[in-house]
Amino acid sequence: MKYLIALFALIAPVGALLANQVALDSEVFVERSVEQADGSVTVVVEEPTRVVPGDSLVFVLSYENAGAEPAENFVVTNPMPDAVAFVEAIDGGAVYSVDGGTVFAPLTELRVASDGGVDRAAQPVDVTHIRWTLTEPIAPGASGQLRFRGVVR
Amino acid sequence: MKRMTKYFVSVSGVTLAALAASPVYAEGTAAGSTITNTVTVNYEVGSVGQNAITASDTLTVDRKINIVIAEEGNATTSVSPGQQNAVTAFLVTNSSNDIIDIRLVASQIVGGTAAHGGTDNFDMNNVEIFVDVNNDGTFDSAADSPIVGFLDEMDRDETRRVFIVADVPLGRATGDVADVTLTGTAREGNDGVTGAEGAAITETSGGNTAGEDTVFADADGVFDGIAFDDDDYTVQAAALSALKASSILGANYPIAGATEFYNIPGATVEYCIAVTNAAGGADATNVAISDPLPANTTFVASSIVIGGSATIDDNGTPGNTADDILTSCDNSGGSAGGSFSAGTVSATLGTVSAGTTEIVTFRAVID
Repeated sequence: MKYLIALFALIAPVGALLANQVALDSEVFVERSVEQADGSVTVVVEEPTRVVPGDSLVFVLSYENAGAEPAENFVVTNPMPDAVAFVEAIDGGAVYSVDGGTVFAPLTELRVASDGGVDRAAQPVDVTHIRWTLTEPIAPGASGQLRFRGVVR
Repeated sequence: MKRMTKYFVSVSGVTLAALAASPVYAEGTAAGSTITNTVTVNYEVGSVGQNAITASDTLTVDRKINIVIAEEGNATTSVSPGQQNAVTAFLVTNSSNDIIDIRLVASQIVGGTAAHGGTDNFDMNNVEIFVDVNNDGTFDSAADSPIVGFLDEMDRDETRRVFIVADVPLGRATGDVADVTLTGTAREGNDGVTGAEGAAITETSGGNTAGEDTVFADADGVFDGIAFDDDDYTVQAAALSALKASSILGANYPIAGATEFYNIPGATVEYCIAVTNAAGGADATNVAISDPLPANTTFVASSIVIGGSATIDDNGTPGNTADDILTSCDNSGGSAGGSFSAGTVSATLGTVSAGTTEIVTFRAVID
């Protein structure tokens, strides 16, 4: 029976498989605290031309449904680059993996092994993947952004 | 199914271990390396899974130049006047994310507040910089080598211990302070090839570029790729003073009815020499006494006694040894020692600790 379903699934979607109906863009910015003349500190987001270890990065994932049909079960997965330590998600609803993308769950439910064989609660720095699953279909022409912060190791 | 779950858990454990094993540099990602962020979207249209879409963005990590120099330990180095090779230790760290050379210069301040609060009032002689080659934390003139101006090819995160070695001038008093400063300047490395000091490092000018830029990120807030720290030497001199007294031993009443001793021929005189090391200074070591026997006296063989206690009258002026008077000596706690030759009494007191008095006594007969 399973075999049949798989076969069916293989054949059926041919007509509905659309070439890149969704447009996607990934951008990275550097976030800096800049002291103003009056002593106040404002956060400036700029192009990542000057990036050194310890700098705070903002990752912006932009999507747009360029097709004519709603996009459903929209799942955005972003592995952390090796040189980036995850800090926090700016947009809510994200789940995380701390094991290279095998298990995804809210960060508070994840645990990682630590020295001595005792596991501990996962910390942001342990995150290897961040994933958003949009519950609502994206209507044709609709767009959105998903953002998170990281820091250059 | 449960077995399957367990299996997965153990596999993910292996993955974690592998992740943890990859080196993590506190000073971060190497300059010039790129960070590529790739995002993947999976979605369905009309309940049919579509081809996954990916998008990526790449940035280049710039070169951050930051060196840290810190005195090792947080105390002055106590020295004696005339001491050779007095050592202060510094740790020089390359906190940049690239291999660099670090030029080192030792300097001295003139006046002003020294590293540990005193006021600098003299300069050390023969100031040299040594690298702790065998990394044992102790200056060793044989194993450690003086450096010719710079630390070669300092790797990311690497720390090397450096000694400033200098000589103390003679004649300095307790509490005198000499401050020494170690200044490091970042220079270009040579991709790990040792031998020559690299060129000066300059910040990338003309705006930031998408490629690898050079940025000064000094911890001291002055963005110049230069760091320094200072340490100081404080003199702990021993202030020795010696007093001498004599007394007649034994009854010699040549005159009937006399009740006092007389310094007459045949009388035995005990001399006491008291050596005092003033409080607040350094212990004096290898203190030796030599005292020519007065004319017209004959040394009493084996009469030298080292050790005991003395009573000194400070004449109402503590701290001024010039007017002190040795009022009595008690050598009952001492032991025989010393020597007599060529008319001179010699004795070794050894160490006279700061704030203590040691005595030597010997006897002679008036000719």
